[in-house]
Amino acid sequence: MSSNKNTPLGQRNLESMHNYATPLGRRILELVRNYAVPIMFIIICAVCIPLSGFSTSYLLNEIITRMGRNIFLILSLLIPIMSGMGLNFGMTLGAMAGQIALIFVTDWQIWGIPGVVLAMILSVPLSALLGLMCGKLMNMAKGREMILGYMMNYFVGGLYQLVVLYFMASIIPIKHASIRLPRGFGIRTTVNLTNMRQCLDNELAIFYNGVKIPVLNFIIIAVLCLFIVWFRRTKLGQDMRAVGQDMDVAQAAGINVDRTRIISIIISTVFAGFGQIIYLQNIGNFPTYTAHSQIGMFCIAALLVGGASVEKASIGNVFLGVILFHTMFIVAPKAGVAITGDAMIGEYFRVFVSYGVITMALIMYEIKKRRARSQGGELLALAQKEGGAAS
Amino acid sequence: MNKKGLVIRLTALAVVIAIAATMMVIGRGHTIYFDNKTVENYQGNEYKAFERVVVTVKDEEVAKLGKRERGMATWIGQNFKMILEITEKKGDEPRIEEIELTLPYNMDGIIINLPAYLAGLPEEAWLSEFIPAPEPEEDEEDPTIGDGLGLEGDLTGDLGGDLGGEDLGA
Repeated sequence: MSSNKNTPLGQRNLESMHNYATPLGRRILELVRNYAVPIMFIIICAVCIPLSGFSTSYLLNEIITRMGRNIFLILSLLIPIMSGMGLNFGMTLGAMAGQIALIFVTDWQIWGIPGVVLAMILSVPLSALLGLMCGKLMNMAKGREMILGYMMNYFVGGLYQLVVLYFMASIIPIKHASIRLPRGFGIRTTVNLTNMRQCLDNELAIFYNGVKIPVLNFIIIAVLCLFIVWFRRTKLGQDMRAVGQDMDVAQAAGINVDRTRIISIIISTVFAGFGQIIYLQNIGNFPTYTAHSQIGMFCIAALLVGGASVEKASIGNVFLGVILFHTMFIVAPKAGVAITGDAMIGEYFRVFVSYGVITMALIMYEIKKRRARSQGGELLALAQKEGGAAS
Repeated sequence: MNKKGLVIRLTALAVVIAIAATMMVIGRGHTIYFDNKTVENYQGNEYKAFERVVVTVKDEEVAKLGKRERGMATWIGQNFKMILEITEKKGDEPRIEEIELTLPYNMDGIIINLPAYLAGLPEEAWLSEFIPAPEPEEDEEDPTIGDGLGLEGDLTGDLGGDLGGEDLGA
């Protein structure tokens, strides 16, 4: 193993462990390696839940509410992963489109579920347009989609501010003074959604032992899950998977790679717009200029916590991720108080964990990619050697 | 794109537009104010306020109005329904009236004068638009004030604040 001379000691030990472990041990090692993040979060939650002192019903209520409002947004990330475009940081663009639609619906005084449906319909053309732009740019920067998507947030965020702060109520008609800035144009820093607050959550809601189950939200989520399962089996879904595995092979097989990638980003952006509307109707108001800014980060962190990676994610990862990530969010401040006497420690903890888990996932992805490349090289060398010996 | 595909797409678009239009009609929200006030000198007549009116909207008692009092309810859509329990004079037995009204689409706040409405007067006598009093001058709210780098509020990495409204600390 001459290649081991140049590898770090830790990695060499891990490899030797891997080589000499029993099949069961090897499987466990593989499992730990593949699901390191969820396992870590399960341990954190297992430690923090008893320390937080929250009752089971309170904790369940919080987790179910957060599942209802966040899962749709996170599901919107699955399709770009399927088509090999990684974690779609550009989902924020859809969130902005959703917010613009909500501003109009608030101004037109369309309340309740009709307001939510109308906002979703209004968000579609804007989301699709932004998704198209994002997809086209990503095709120009293949292999760098994530950083491009991340920077697009800032670029389109600036455009969003220009539209909402200067064009609305000056060029774009906004009737109600309650959402206009006092100077006469631009939108106030907070838009009140009181008249549609939790309208989806309350419709068909079931109360069981003090736990509110937002049935309609879960029906909507189930429909999206079914759509994703169905979509994977369609011709377009199969094309996306082929593109995700190898773009060159897909191109050679006659798939229009660029078009397929653009469609996947458009679908993701449109769903992100819907997801943001569902999310904000639950909250009941939104800070006009910042509500979208961290949403992508949170959704991506939750997905990664559920055991997804940059190249592979499933519906199961979404559900597990939301449960673990948000359980940690709920219990961390109280657990922080119990351990250190300071709630801020818990706050900082959950913040660094959120960003840390994304960093870790990106590093692990890169390591895996390099390992696969080097293994591929080794196999090729071995095959050449064997071929040479045989001849 | 073939003709069939175009027809399907145009039909889908028309359906979506129809749904949006329906939502705009059935989801239009109104705030309704009920006045139990005497209407003085309408075409030479006076319509006196009731002793007491109890207003029920969607099985919920929203107002108990004495003379010169105002109640309020919210309603989604244009076909407004309410049940009134009216006591005309002190000591009278209350009578119950079920009322259905078509609300004007373009009004957010609608004032209904109950004595005038129940007297069967024309719409101009009992319906008027509620116009909120002008708000006191506020300090100019400018979300762009900062150091120009857009870093304020982000330096601490306060995700809860950034998410805006989601009580992440709960």
